[in-house]
Amino acid sequence: MFEMAKELLKQLFRKPFTNRFPSKHVPKSTTKLLKNVKEGMAKVNRPVPIPEGFRGKIAYDKEKCIGCKLCIKVCPANCYDFLEKERKVKYHLSRCTFCAQCVDVCPVNALTSTKEFLLSDYKTH
Amino acid sequence: MSLKDLNRSLWVFHVNSGSCNGCDIEIVATLTPRYDIERFGMKLVGTPRHADVLLVTGPVTRDMEKKLRRVFDQTPDPKVVMVIGNCGSTGGVFYESYNLVGPVDRIIPVDVYVAGCPPRPEAIIEGVVKVWAKLEKRGEKK
Ligand code: SF4
Ligand code: SF4
Ligand code: SF4
Repeated sequence: MFEMAKELLKQLFRKPFTNRFPSKHVPKSTTKLLKNVKEGMAKVNRPVPIPEGFRGKIAYDKEKCIGCKLCIKVCPANCYDFLEKERKVKYHLSRCTFCAQCVDVCPVNALTSTKEFLLSDYKTH
Repeated sequence: MSLKDLNRSLWVFHVNSGSCNGCDIEIVATLTPRYDIERFGMKLVGTPRHADVLLVTGPVTRDMEKKLRRVFDQTPDPKVVMVIGNCGSTGGVFYESYNLVGPVDRIIPVDVYVAGCPPRPEAIIEGVVKVWAKLEKRGEKK
């Protein structure tokens, strides 16, 4: 009985394990909250920290690219279109499976994995 | 349709149209105490007839096409469709499969695409925020 009361008291003052991203409850107006966040008037809770070596959205440096097509060859999801005129590639985020094989294969490091993962949208890219 | 028309917590039905199960696990992870999407009043329901939101994962296989259409029709209006994962948005890694009739937006209209393969639970929550914002915007226009 005493043990139980001790545990109860402990739980009462412990911080909840839940990560309250982006806010504790539903705001009165989401549009307003989003606007305020953009202007820096309101803050949202941060997401759970991402682990070391996380593979997020691929960043493409167009300047560096030499148009060797290796990334097109290696990509399992057909993410890259080749732009014949410029001899560059175009990356399609909505096809990517974030395996980072293209990052490994690119000879001039034009492709890098970023830590970006909040990527929902109203259309595909 | 706007948020006012719904005027209640969003209940969610999850359809797996041939996914690899990665995104399905992430949806379940979103329900765990760590992320706890139920604090927004959202929960998974057992039938499309109780749902306001359809979560569709997977690239829609030949077998699932009819069933997906039927689930969509069974969901009462007003409804919102969210695609979770890249294979549902574009075909993703399954793009050249002989058994593919999707992606999802070729079968049913889609409101929000959550990119990722699979997306992290926060990305799914962000998708929900986008749904909310979209509904509110529609409400204002009226
Ligand atoms: S991370 Fe993988 S799937 Fe994405 S573009 Fe690179 S090779 Fe293609
Ligand atoms: S592998 Fe690198 S250099 Fe070659 S086409 Fe792709 S991005 Fe350009
Ligand atoms: S998007 Fe990727 S993780 Fe999700 S169901 Fe499709 S293949 Fe699996």
